[in-house]
Amino acid sequence: MKKVLSSGIGAVAGLALVMFFLVLTFMIFGQPVGASLKAMYVGSVADWNAWSKTLVKMTPLILTGLGAGVAWRAGMYNIGGEGQFILGGVGSAWLAKMVVFPNLALGGLTLPALLLASMAGGAVWSGIAAWLYLKRGVDVVIGTILLNFIAKYLIEWTINGPLQEAKHQLPQSDALPQAAMLMRFDRQHDANIGVFIAVIVAVGIAICLFATASGYRLRVVGASPSAARANLIPSQRVQMMAMLLSGALCGLAGGLDYVGVSGQIGIGFSQQWGFLGIPVALLGGLHPLGILASGAFFGMLFAGSEQMARSSAVGTTLIYVVQAAVVLAVVFARGIERKVLPQVEAEP
Amino acid sequence: MLEVKGVSKHFGALCALDHVSATFLPGRIHAVLGENGAGKSTLMSVLAGFLVPEQGDVVFEGTSIPGGRPAECQRLGIEMIHQHFTLVPAFTAEENLALARTSQLVSKVDPRSQSLEALEIAAKLGWDIPRNQRTSELPVGVQQRLEILKALSGSAKVLIFDEPTAVLSPEEAEDLFRVMRTLRDEGRILILIAHKLSEVLSVADEVTVLRRGINVASAPITDVTAQILAEWMVGDLPPMHTEKRANRGAARVRATGMSVLGDRGETAIRDVKFEIRAGEIYGFGGVDGNGQIELAEALVGLRRPIRQDSLAVETDRDIGYIPQDRQHDGLALELSVRENLLLTGVRDHRLRRGPFLRLRKIQEWSRKLIQKFSIKTEGPDQLVKSLSGGNQQKIVVSRVFDQVPEVIIAVNPTRGLDIKATHFVHAQLLSARERGAAIALISTDLDELTQLSDRLAFLSRGELVEGEGSLALLGEGSPS
Amino acid sequence: MDLVLLLGFTVPVALAALGETIGQKSGVINIGLEGMILAGAFAAAWAAAITGSPWIGSAAGLIVGMVLAAFSGWFTVVRGADQVVVGTALNLLSLGITGSLFRMKFDPTKTILKVTKVPTLGDFVPWVKTSLPWMERLDVFIVLTIFLSVFLAWVLKRTGWGLAVRSAGEYPVAAEAAGFSVVRLRMGALLIGGALAGLAGAYLCLGISGSFAENTTAGRGFVAIALVTFGQWRPGWVAAGALLIGFLESLQFKAQAAGWKVPVQFLLAMPYVVSLLVLVFIGKRTLSPAALGQPYRRSK
Repeated sequence: MKKVLSSGIGAVAGLALVMFFLVLTFMIFGQPVGASLKAMYVGSVADWNAWSKTLVKMTPLILTGLGAGVAWRAGMYNIGGEGQFILGGVGSAWLAKMVVFPNLALGGLTLPALLLASMAGGAVWSGIAAWLYLKRGVDVVIGTILLNFIAKYLIEWTINGPLQEAKHQLPQSDALPQAAMLMRFDRQHDANIGVFIAVIVAVGIAICLFATASGYRLRVVGASPSAARANLIPSQRVQMMAMLLSGALCGLAGGLDYVGVSGQIGIGFSQQWGFLGIPVALLGGLHPLGILASGAFFGMLFAGSEQMARSSAVGTTLIYVVQAAVVLAVVFARGIERKVLPQVEAEP
Repeated sequence: MLEVKGVSKHFGALCALDHVSATFLPGRIHAVLGENGAGKSTLMSVLAGFLVPEQGDVVFEGTSIPGGRPAECQRLGIEMIHQHFTLVPAFTAEENLALARTSQLVSKVDPRSQSLEALEIAAKLGWDIPRNQRTSELPVGVQQRLEILKALSGSAKVLIFDEPTAVLSPEEAEDLFRVMRTLRDEGRILILIAHKLSEVLSVADEVTVLRRGINVASAPITDVTAQILAEWMVGDLPPMHTEKRANRGAARVRATGMSVLGDRGETAIRDVKFEIRAGEIYGFGGVDGNGQIELAEALVGLRRPIRQDSLAVETDRDIGYIPQDRQHDGLALELSVRENLLLTGVRDHRLRRGPFLRLRKIQEWSRKLIQKFSIKTEGPDQLVKSLSGGNQQKIVVSRVFDQVPEVIIAVNPTRGLDIKATHFVHAQLLSARERGAAIALISTDLDELTQLSDRLAFLSRGELVEGEGSLALLGEGSPS
Repeated sequence: MDLVLLLGFTVPVALAALGETIGQKSGVINIGLEGMILAGAFAAAWAAAITGSPWIGSAAGLIVGMVLAAFSGWFTVVRGADQVVVGTALNLLSLGITGSLFRMKFDPTKTILKVTKVPTLGDFVPWVKTSLPWMERLDVFIVLTIFLSVFLAWVLKRTGWGLAVRSAGEYPVAAEAAGFSVVRLRMGALLIGGALAGLAGAYLCLGISGSFAENTTAGRGFVAIALVTFGQWRPGWVAAGALLIGFLESLQFKAQAAGWKVPVQFLLAMPYVVSLLVLVFIGKRTLSPAALGQPYRRSK
């Protein structure tokens, strides 16, 4: 009970913190606070139209946030969510090109197959980074960042080359037939059942991390690699698995974007979703349920900021500022906490 | 003359120094003696200006030293030779000496000429320093010489040696004492922090004994004996006696000419033969860095012997492992008490259902362990980093003994613990022996080894020397 | 290939990487480098657009780079916060601020902002254009970069500050024992890194493109971080690595001119692929500073 209460307080404090920085950012950038907040409200939760946008944005944020969270918990600084997201899209689009467009009968298996392909795509990309680190000593941060850029050019190449639409006019893939896409709540809006998948995955990852032996080992490896070693936990294997899972989650985010919203891949397939997942994960305290909450909340902010951008010169980029400020504020608060609790030796 | 006047220092609730006074004279070697946790290191940190005492004063040549500003104390000529070297491993010997002589940020550095003076001193002391070799590649003894030369390269008037022999071989220690006497005869104040009686008796001119932060006594060395010093150090605490056992069971661990490689590919353990039977404690003594870690890790299975068949461990259960460095290898400090207890429990089928953990059961189980081993904590959810060292070690020990292992490998299980916690760990090891566990006790603490071990051998440069005669390897006999 | 043109491509990455080398030598890995370059680029373009002077623009870039470095150092060095987390946040912050200000202050319909470029040798000495055409595009930044790649190596090796900074990156305890403040050493190194990152950004706008566009850095900061490992923490080698990256970047223009049949994306990805491959071949035997990325707390 005490625990539930304290995490509830944490959530309220986090919410207040974000609102504080939101207002502060509006003021610093000379935006009318009242009107801007109203625009944020109208754009994110005022009606079903707004909710639809929020749901569409929170789905990838939750999943890439989970991806970052799982890897960071294992001590692997995966900054490569962006590349893994893209590879997820490429993976699904590639499988679509192989089976959906030639009308191979997969029936009800089509969607799961496309999503599996996206997870495989993301996992391949994170797996490369993990392999480079574990076998060749290439720093995870540097490796995953470089792979982000390589992914960016890879998708540009595929939509100008092997995966380009049949007409060969625009740099994009063919659009998926409506039948092959995820179920939407209604025809007019993009919101689809992908958001349920994200929520279920978040709960699943929470169970995996905190109620299974593998998840426990993952957390030990992240908290103290040397203690893991002394207790015969194979760190390298655990870190590899964590990275594969992390990449699969980011890939799934890309896959859900593909089969749920865009139906095709093109220039600007990912709008920094992989990158934005990192602050989402940090603000969620690297806890799957925290990430679920912070992903949902930032989904609202991003949806709201688009509404704001209609009447003002600025929009989405302001939310980056808010995200960064909140992350730094949390870092600052942690520092204080560390000061309050010094390590005391001796005394039985 | 360096005077300590009524100095007190607390860490939280712990009183590290309680109105300590002492006088250190030029041309004398002063030993500061005490058990682990007696306050020796705190006193030295105060002397060298690293710590500011809450009460009292340190007066050097008539003026108070600038507490809290070690750099200025250095300028006054107070130099500390740290137990943990302050050498940059990646630098050459020359560069390290130059670093100590560099005080201006905007200045040209020429390691060759800046290390010249220190190397001349080295030559005078009869030391040969390979100037262009990476420091990390030098033997520990040579590294310590560098550490001393760093201190000497200034105009050092006070030299504080913090447990300098802990990592030295007996010959190296003897050479160090020779150098200390030379430095003394040049009119410096030398302060030696130590906990080995034999060392103090052989090199010191004056001795000051600390016990639990209190200055128990100061006396010229000619006025004391080992017996007196031991009483001053330990007080009237009854020593723990154990009966050696002869009725041992079958061999559980058998090493037959085992060799093990260290991290840098060197042969850390060379062709050792021993067997540990059920119901005995086999003690491995020796100075740090003679293959202890590699031996322990080979026994636990973290390191492979060069020949696979040279080591046989017979047990159906997990091997219980108490690693040397609890904060590094024993615990994940950022995780909770429960999660740290679970490091062994995670393999326990009672606490799992397939791949899942039985969370409620685990909570119950960790409460039970906390109670049984009287770990002082707010509860299973408290983070381990906020516990005291003794309670941290209790977590390691309790999770090992909870699994009732048949083979236990314990490396310096009481290092840094106070007397009560030490008693606890020893009692646990003895009761495990009673129920028939085979225990390898790898320790640098001779008292601990002689108290607990049924058989004793010493590690020296990776080789094993058995029997009582090998005590000479430690450079000292048993204190009492 | 026009050598001076090639050097021009090299300069931004080289300057940033040289600054990052100093920072890493002191033990701080600055993941926020990309953000510092971007902020420097925007500040430089803005100041140059207002004043019409590329020099004032460059100074603005340098100052903003240093301000960001001080800000990030306050978290990572003074307070000992996680360097990757702070760096990531800094990148996001810079992306958000520059993007928002750019849209607010300049016509949002225009996607780029044109500014006066840094003058080159050809502008000062007209006869160079005719008699030494390959020297025409030489400018102060190119000379500065070449100078720094030698000078910084000397500073690290042969000055008191260099020795102290290296000890802070290898074994901070030793630096403190020698009477230096690790916090001050690392802050100083980080500030130099920030200044050079700001200059790198300034040159992107005022030296190469003559304009600013959103996210104009396009990952050069990350390439610069990779280059430090690539060049094994030696300024000369880091600069040489930057030259290779500059060459790879210039390949796309060459390919267009020569009409190669290679997909342009392959050429665009080359700097990243080659960086990664070099890191793979360097492998584990790197000369990385031992305390790199570890916050230092004075133990009491």
